[in-house]
Amino acid sequence: MKLSEHARNVIETSMKHNRVSDSDRDEIERVIANMPDDRVFLQKNVVSDPLGDLPRYSIHIRIQHMLTFSTFLALAFTGLPIHFIEALWAEPFNMVLGGVEVTRIIHRTLAVVMIASMVYHLLTITIKPLLEIKNRCFDIRRTIIPLFKDIRDFKEDMLYSANKRAQRPEMDKYMYKQKIHYFAAGFGNMVMVVSGSSFLFPEFWASILPISMVSNFQELMRLSHPHEALLALLVIAFWHWYNVHLAPGRFPMQWTFLTGKITREHQIEEHFLEYLRNLVEIPEERQHLQDILDSRGLSEDDGLIDKQESESEDMT
Amino acid sequence: MIANKGRYRGKYVLAINLMLVLFSTFFLTPAIAFEDDEGCLICHKYPMMARVTDDGVLRSYYVMPHIFGRTVHRNVPCRDCHSYIKELPHKPVTEGVTCNAECHSIKNPATGKQFSHKLIYDSYIKSTHGRKKVAEGLDADKPYCISCHTNPLYNPDEDKPPKHIVDRCVICHEKRDFVERWYSHTSRRIREVKRSSKEVFELCSSCHENKEMLDRHVKQAKEEGRELGKKFPIAAESYKESFHGKLTRLGFNKTASCLDCHARQKDYFRSVHEIRPSRDPDSPTHKNNKVETCQRCHVHADENYVALDPHPSSKREDNLFKYYAEMIYNIVGVAVIAMLVGMSLLETIGRRRDGIAWRLSHGSTWRRKSRRGRDRVE
Repeated sequence: MKLSEHARNVIETSMKHNRVSDSDRDEIERVIANMPDDRVFLQKNVVSDPLGDLPRYSIHIRIQHMLTFSTFLALAFTGLPIHFIEALWAEPFNMVLGGVEVTRIIHRTLAVVMIASMVYHLLTITIKPLLEIKNRCFDIRRTIIPLFKDIRDFKEDMLYSANKRAQRPEMDKYMYKQKIHYFAAGFGNMVMVVSGSSFLFPEFWASILPISMVSNFQELMRLSHPHEALLALLVIAFWHWYNVHLAPGRFPMQWTFLTGKITREHQIEEHFLEYLRNLVEIPEERQHLQDILDSRGLSEDDGLIDKQESESEDMT
Repeated sequence: MIANKGRYRGKYVLAINLMLVLFSTFFLTPAIAFEDDEGCLICHKYPMMARVTDDGVLRSYYVMPHIFGRTVHRNVPCRDCHSYIKELPHKPVTEGVTCNAECHSIKNPATGKQFSHKLIYDSYIKSTHGRKKVAEGLDADKPYCISCHTNPLYNPDEDKPPKHIVDRCVICHEKRDFVERWYSHTSRRIREVKRSSKEVFELCSSCHENKEMLDRHVKQAKEEGRELGKKFPIAAESYKESFHGKLTRLGFNKTASCLDCHARQKDYFRSVHEIRPSRDPDSPTHKNNKVETCQRCHVHADENYVALDPHPSSKREDNLFKYYAEMIYNIVGVAVIAMLVGMSLLETIGRRRDGIAWRLSHGSTWRRKSRRGRDRVE
């Protein structure tokens, strides 16, 4: 496979960060050269364990996800019956928990747990990059921070789905959908925390805001809390659950949130640049891929030669 | 035979009717639970005691002694209030009972003066709700005493006092019924008799949610160039939209109701009778008094805090910011969901074209031939 300029840059950075030896570099280059140019063809022919093959999420992220999704759902199912108290469906929700007096206490308690989970997450996503910067192995492309490339990826992915393009874009560890989802959830959480606290501590918020903003802020928060909750619930129901449970190929679910691992096939399909890093960081994966390519007769032996030839042409 | 049968049947019917009359005479006659020394029940005990007024309204003058005997006015002789009645049969009543008259034969035990509601009435008449008993025009929309004070027929707080207490009192007071009556009279006032937040709102909104009435007042004020509170036309509906209103609807009694803000707390029971518009410096909702009013519950309330709108509304004419904020929220919400559903559908079509199926995967998700011509090597 001949790598794109961006993919080449990613793998060079990865090799530099991992301080790979010359022999490992040759091995990596050889495997990459042997990969077929057609990434769709490659991903169709690898062997994957549905529980996951390659590392993706640390135990911290998995715990945070568990805390967040469980509290989120419980908050939605205690909060919405309070907001829509007069709706026919709300009464059984409230009654089963002991009435609205109990529901609101549960709701606030769960909110505290969710905030704790957010703080835990913020610590995790702050400490890890700091350590990477210290060790000189930080690559912003490997983070969830949105980049201009994501806009291009979004456009190209839509074109692929519409059958106007042969390949899905080469996407990084976090693709555009995950970035949208992550920041939407992060923004939503902040809105819920701020608006929820404005109900509990209206005096505090009034005291720190300019007097001209106080009333509109409070009313905006009162609008935001239920609207954001409903929107978040619908986004989770329609989009997140679609992506991780219902989409063809993901059914009945991805196990990543439990095992922390992603399947090889999925990594190549949607996170190809991260797969290249896996080839650098995990020698066993290089060997495994080479074995698959050999056993299925997919190796493009000429690929490396072609690449070397083209590189020498570039140099001249 | 047939004629005899009929005669016997007639006798039976007559006997049964006689028994029913005797039974109802001795057992079903309502017990007179109050002293009718003035003989008013001679006429007013009849259920059909009524007339059609000049306005065509059927007015009933029936007094149910066993019901009236349980009301708070049960110990007051009729003519203490109906003082205009000088002879029997009396002349047609024009004004009726007014609550400011010092008409009671009962004396105030503290002052020795005749008992009266005059003090409260004087406060009420100066309030924004103040009106005479017989009022015309817009004043007729205002509540008179009996609009709010319905003279409840039954009050659980007036149940008979516990036996062990009465047993103790009768040692000196001798008469058991005397002790029971005065114990209830006193203890009812000691106990919490404030209406709940929900009841207060229901009471106030019985007028303040009456759109026709509100429109009449707004129109008249406009014609006269008279200032009217900005929230007057939406007072009740905006309260329901407020945080306080929502909590009241949920059944929380500690939440501020209309009277918690619009009446002074230090002399609450008098102040509820002299509600004033917020532009009146004596009103607890006047801009100079707001901090103190809010601090009753929100102890840390300051000048900023009182800028919060206790009567918020999404109506364009009331709050443009909230009106547009709500509109934007609705548009964004629908647009986001539509976009995400659209993206998911497009992706599903693309993935199906790739030959991916909704099946439990065992190593691979590829289940059928791709329409893009790239398949797994078998």
